[in-house]
Amino acid sequence: MISTMYHLDALGSARAFVAALLIGVAFGFFLERAGFGSSRKLAGVFYFSDMSVIKVMFTAVVTALLGLSICVACGWVSMDAIYLMPTVYGAHIIGGLIFGVGFVMGGWCPGTAAAGLASGKMDAFVFLCGAVAGSALFNETFAFVGPLYRAGDRGIVFVYDSLGMSRIGFTLLLSIAAVLVFWGCEWIENRRRKEPMSRRDNSVLKVVSVVLPALAVLVAAIGTDANGQAAIVSAGAITSIAAEMQLLDAVEQAQDHIEPEDLADRLVTGEPGLVVVDIRPPQEYAHFHIRGAINVTMKDIYGNLMPYKNIGTIVLYSNGMTHPVQVRDSLYRMGFLNAYILTDGLDGFIQRCLTPVSLRGEPVPQATADQIRLWRSYFLSSEDSKPSEVTKVSDELTWLVSTEWLEKHLADGNVKVIDLRSQPEYNSGHIAGSLALAAENLRTNSNGVGSMLQPVDMLARHVSLMGIRPEETVVFVHGDKIHDATLAGMAMERIGHEQYAILTGGFEQWKTDGRPLTTALPGSSASSYPVIPDADNFTVDYKRVLQHVQKKSAVIIDVRPADYYMGAKSDEARAGHIPGAINRAYTEDIQKTGDIQQLKSVDELEKAYSLIIPSKDTVVVVHCRTGHQASQTFFVLKHLLGYRRLCWYDAGWAEWAARTDLPIEGAPLAKKQSFLLLRKDALLRTLPRTRGLQPRSSHFLMNRLIFLVGV
Amino acid sequence: MKKQANENQNFMNPYLAGLGLGLTLLASFLILGAGLGASSGIARIAACAELCVARAHTLSSGYFGKWGDAPLRYYLVFMLVGTFLGALCSALLADRVRLRVERGAKTSTGRRVMYAFAGGILVGFASRLANGCTSGQALTGSALLLTGSFAFLVFIFVGGYSTAWLFRRQWND
Repeated sequence: MISTMYHLDALGSARAFVAALLIGVAFGFFLERAGFGSSRKLAGVFYFSDMSVIKVMFTAVVTALLGLSICVACGWVSMDAIYLMPTVYGAHIIGGLIFGVGFVMGGWCPGTAAAGLASGKMDAFVFLCGAVAGSALFNETFAFVGPLYRAGDRGIVFVYDSLGMSRIGFTLLLSIAAVLVFWGCEWIENRRRKEPMSRRDNSVLKVVSVVLPALAVLVAAIGTDANGQAAIVSAGAITSIAAEMQLLDAVEQAQDHIEPEDLADRLVTGEPGLVVVDIRPPQEYAHFHIRGAINVTMKDIYGNLMPYKNIGTIVLYSNGMTHPVQVRDSLYRMGFLNAYILTDGLDGFIQRCLTPVSLRGEPVPQATADQIRLWRSYFLSSEDSKPSEVTKVSDELTWLVSTEWLEKHLADGNVKVIDLRSQPEYNSGHIAGSLALAAENLRTNSNGVGSMLQPVDMLARHVSLMGIRPEETVVFVHGDKIHDATLAGMAMERIGHEQYAILTGGFEQWKTDGRPLTTALPGSSASSYPVIPDADNFTVDYKRVLQHVQKKSAVIIDVRPADYYMGAKSDEARAGHIPGAINRAYTEDIQKTGDIQQLKSVDELEKAYSLIIPSKDTVVVVHCRTGHQASQTFFVLKHLLGYRRLCWYDAGWAEWAARTDLPIEGAPLAKKQSFLLLRKDALLRTLPRTRGLQPRSSHFLMNRLIFLVGV
Repeated sequence: MKKQANENQNFMNPYLAGLGLGLTLLASFLILGAGLGASSGIARIAACAELCVARAHTLSSGYFGKWGDAPLRYYLVFMLVGTFLGALCSALLADRVRLRVERGAKTSTGRRVMYAFAGGILVGFASRLANGCTSGQALTGSALLLTGSFAFLVFIFVGGYSTAWLFRRQWND
């Protein structure tokens, strides 16, 4: 797979400049060869006296299109490594009209004028001066034409989608249209030509007429193998017959499934990195599931399993095997080489592992009987997922404190309670002595980016006004957002105040536990909190993140919801995510019991993150849109799980998306991908849910559809 | 007579030239990850010229401002220089380098130059509006099957053919 300079974000490098210069040399050479160093020849197209412009341009477009399609189909390059321009209907239509008038008036376009200048045409020089003036005019009138420049912006749109065709169908049509146009051009020119077309030119035309459509058919054939099994274009990896054969090969070598006994053993021993995925509906999952399995319905597969791509082992199961097989093959095509199905499904698992010895028809050896007893005791007992408290290493204070702990220490005089709920909520009843604080008030606009945590001096002033002293322990009480408490925690980190904790379950837990409330406002006198400038060694800016992206020197975790990560939704200038970032939404770290929200147990979190982050010393960058949600993941990783090299990209996606000089991933493709998934999901739902369904027939149908909409 | 022959003939077969251009474009996709472009280079030169004249104004302007104080450090500027050099090589090889204003015999040089300048202004402006010219949008974008680029291409011909009659005289012999 070729990594282009655009993909590597290296278009500004000296290497790219040299490459661009050399490509320009070839470009100029062929323009001049074609006769485009002559304005008379160029303008000829508008008077039907010389159709070279159309012949050359159409040939070039179809050649590059077919060449690129072949490269993509063979998996040599991915479309997301190529810069795609957005469609802006207003600008493109009005711009085209003005350009056309300028073209016929001036007799040149920018590239050909450079070629004309090289062959000594003074009118080309004048034209180029005009074009420089026209560019400057655009800049000077930008305030006025800006709305037109953005009018009808549709993002990346492909013409075959606009026309409701498949990519291959459109490519074929365009190649055939090109040949027809060529013959039309020759017919127009022949009417004026004094001498007939030379034999050589005639031969070239005939060869082109055969070769272009033939290549288009080849492109279609590479994408579709003899049986009509379609190849699909997926997250950067393009599958072809070769990839399909690899898939079938893996199936043949039984690398696609795990036996129930094997899975049971691995679960009992607590193998790290093993993710068991129950793809049945939530009701069935709630009724019974294999202990330790997570429930991911088919429409959420890609949203939820991305973090486990090629990390650890993914085992899919349902009651039977049809759906898991289909999901596994789909995952395999998307580049997941670590997805397996559970042989015989949940039914098989129950029958083979959990059926008591007494109910089995055939005699069972003693060793097997012992094993079955072990499995039964493990898998038929309830799961224990109570959140546990983590002890802070430095002293006895934990990062998460219980309501019991807090009530006991309220009278200490050394504990400051900060209530992060809204003012009306606070006023209608709060923990005695607690102070109201809106987490949003800790943020400000910094260097043009909104919602940045305030600089250390402002924060120090802020906590001084609240009367917090360096030796005090601060306990944050959140309402419905745990990340309000963790954002306030980031402020503590920045000013170097390590003595803080979060009340587990927040205010709701306090209320549920029936602990005392008051409406009395506390008396508080301002303190003078010292400014310690260097405590914040964890906040990173986009430059640092970009370095990590380029050197692949950090695990970047995007904690926004999956649809934002995938680019399907966006509130910012651009959709998608930072190249190489993996998605684990902050909400996945939360468990809800009624109105009470708390972080999941450390064991659960530990298990999930050990799959994403190789070691506790790995550099990890967490970010979301504005830094708020990411503060929660930061807290989890740093304080609950003990990751040591954690960075917080506060400005987050809001800044990254707005800085168009920064590379992004997932925008054009993610759109296509989510579209594919949507179609696949829709189709899967229409398929019969019978267990005995011939897998291949539905499989084939599904791929056929994906192929049609996707390639 | 011989000179005349050299000016108008010996051009490469248009389909072969198109093939060459197409392969150049393909190479650009595979190496740079972006297509060809010419008008960006011109606009960068305009930005550079504006910077020399009114630095503070240009740096704070809506469009050129975002290119900063070194607009020429951009790959498409190098591509434009390459285009000139490549064309120069080709023209020298074919002995087609002649200093002259290309026009119809019945047109004055002044009129042709005026048209060229006015056309240049329109093309320069329109290229910025549409984010590219015949190279960057019509050629590159069409090969990538982008809707906007096809729209741009179609409307170039709509604009060109609908006004061609007005400018026909400059080519009359």
